[in-house]
Amino acid sequence: MIEAKNLGMRYGRGKQLALEDINFFIDRNEFVFFVGSSGAGKSTLMKLIIRELKPTEGLLKVFNRDVGRLPRHRLPYLRRNIGMVFQDFRLMEERTVQDNVAFAMIVTGSSRREIKRRVPGVLSMVGLEGKAKAKITDLSGGEQQRVGVARAIINRPAMILADEPTGNLDPGTALDIMNLLHTVNLRGTTVLVATHNREIVDRFKKRVLYLDNGRLVGDEQKGIYTNVH
Amino acid sequence: MFINGFIYIVGETLNGLYRNRWMCITSTGVVMVTLLMLGLFMVVNLNVQHITEAVKEQVEMVVYIEEDADRATVEELGRALSGHEEVTAVAYVSREEHMGRLQQQLGGMLEGYDSGLENPLLASFEVKTADPEAVVGLASEFEAYPGVAAVFYGRGYVEDLFALTRVVQIVGLALMAGLAITAVFLVSHTIKLTVLMRQREITIMKYVGATNWFIRWPFFLEGLLMGFVGAVLPLGILHYLYRIFAQWIAANELMFINLLPLQAVISELALYLVPLGVILGILGSTMSMGRFLRV
Ligand SMILES: Nc1ncnc2c1ncn2[C@@H]1O[C@H](COP(=O)(O)OP(=O)(O)OP(=O)(O)O)[C@@H](O)[C@H]1O
Ligand SMILES: [Mg+2]
Repeated sequence: MIEAKNLGMRYGRGKQLALEDINFFIDRNEFVFFVGSSGAGKSTLMKLIIRELKPTEGLLKVFNRDVGRLPRHRLPYLRRNIGMVFQDFRLMEERTVQDNVAFAMIVTGSSRREIKRRVPGVLSMVGLEGKAKAKITDLSGGEQQRVGVARAIINRPAMILADEPTGNLDPGTALDIMNLLHTVNLRGTTVLVATHNREIVDRFKKRVLYLDNGRLVGDEQKGIYTNVH
Repeated sequence: MFINGFIYIVGETLNGLYRNRWMCITSTGVVMVTLLMLGLFMVVNLNVQHITEAVKEQVEMVVYIEEDADRATVEELGRALSGHEEVTAVAYVSREEHMGRLQQQLGGMLEGYDSGLENPLLASFEVKTADPEAVVGLASEFEAYPGVAAVFYGRGYVEDLFALTRVVQIVGLALMAGLAITAVFLVSHTIKLTVLMRQREITIMKYVGATNWFIRWPFFLEGLLMGFVGAVLPLGILHYLYRIFAQWIAANELMFINLLPLQAVISELALYLVPLGVILGILGSTMSMGRFLRV
């Protein structure tokens, strides 16, 4: 599903590599944690996967396509297959829960009927069935992130990328969100999570890719959060 | 499917315009002023052209014959004039005919004129030319012909008329070019503001996979709408003003100012103003579509 070969990323001429010589393969239906200290390159890697950035070195294949060579007009279709979840939620705060979720369907051209049919189901899956008409600002952080997850999965992507999805949440809520992502994974979606959260990584015992200063220094199945130096 | 996206786009367009209504009114206003000026200028120009056409028809040259020219010289001159390629018609007017015309024009004022006295007027050829604007050059050419005393054409009048329309055209066009640039700039600035206001939605749209054009449509339509409204309002205003002016002319019996009919003028204007307004608006939107609106 994702394949990196000698992948490297340099943000600008003369700057040092933010990612260097990265090699890995992620299969469909995997659940993978990207861990590493601040500045290790986790977000950079995720931005490369959705082609927000273009690799400056090596090869990155997503859904079997070289994203570095993907023409601009194909980007929307790549992104429709990847749901994004963010640390800061990135919701439209003045709008309702259902509007936020439906938005992802509207802008990708779904019919009104299709939207009406799918949104309630997804909201109940993330545990927000009673909150469809609530405004985002009236929700707790955990609830807001549930909206974020609902929006990420509403278009039925093959893969979810979550960049520090629990970074702004207390430990209990963080665990809830991670369980939700796990459920999504069990239903057949590849899930990649970048995180600092040692407790969660250790608890889930999933595959872990360790990044350190732009290099991939560890790749373990059923890994735990260790400081590899 | 598409309908739903369409409703969203139209909704966002109107929403963006509303949230930025003051800038939007200002921009539309400048488009409007630009096109109103262009419209006024066109109305005047069309009518001046129309009147000039009429005047041009009447412009003719009078080639006066020297008093002592003999019959052969006069005949030779007549042949030379009629044979000239620019000349369409030549008519001989004798001294007596001139006197008759003068008496007619002046009414009874020459009543006491004794036909026994020597007629002070000169005989002439009246010459019509194919291209009225050529009279200036032809006049000096004909002055050199043997037997010619002088050549007259509505000298000052014709030259002034042509010169004036040209000056008005150049000044007007320069002014309008300036205004048009301002209009495009303001439209693009207004749209940039709505882009900034909708930054969050735009980011989300990119992440969930909206296409470039889906993201851009609302902004494109905003520009288009500003341009269109900025063109239609001046048309209404000009329609109104032109009617008032035509009525005033009629009321004051200034019928010699032969105006073009209202409907013809307005439809001619619409043909230019509406596409121009739309182009200004579209230029403004495209200018505002920077990095932000690219997936
Ligand atoms: N837009 C940018 N321009 C220049 N350098 C950048 C940019 N974004 C990130 N970097 C650099 O790239 C490196 C990796 O950053 P990245 O954001 O991927 O780290 P991260 O692992 O996500 O860190 P964190 O855990 O703090 O989110 C850092 O050295 C950072 O300074
Ligand atoms: Mg990061």
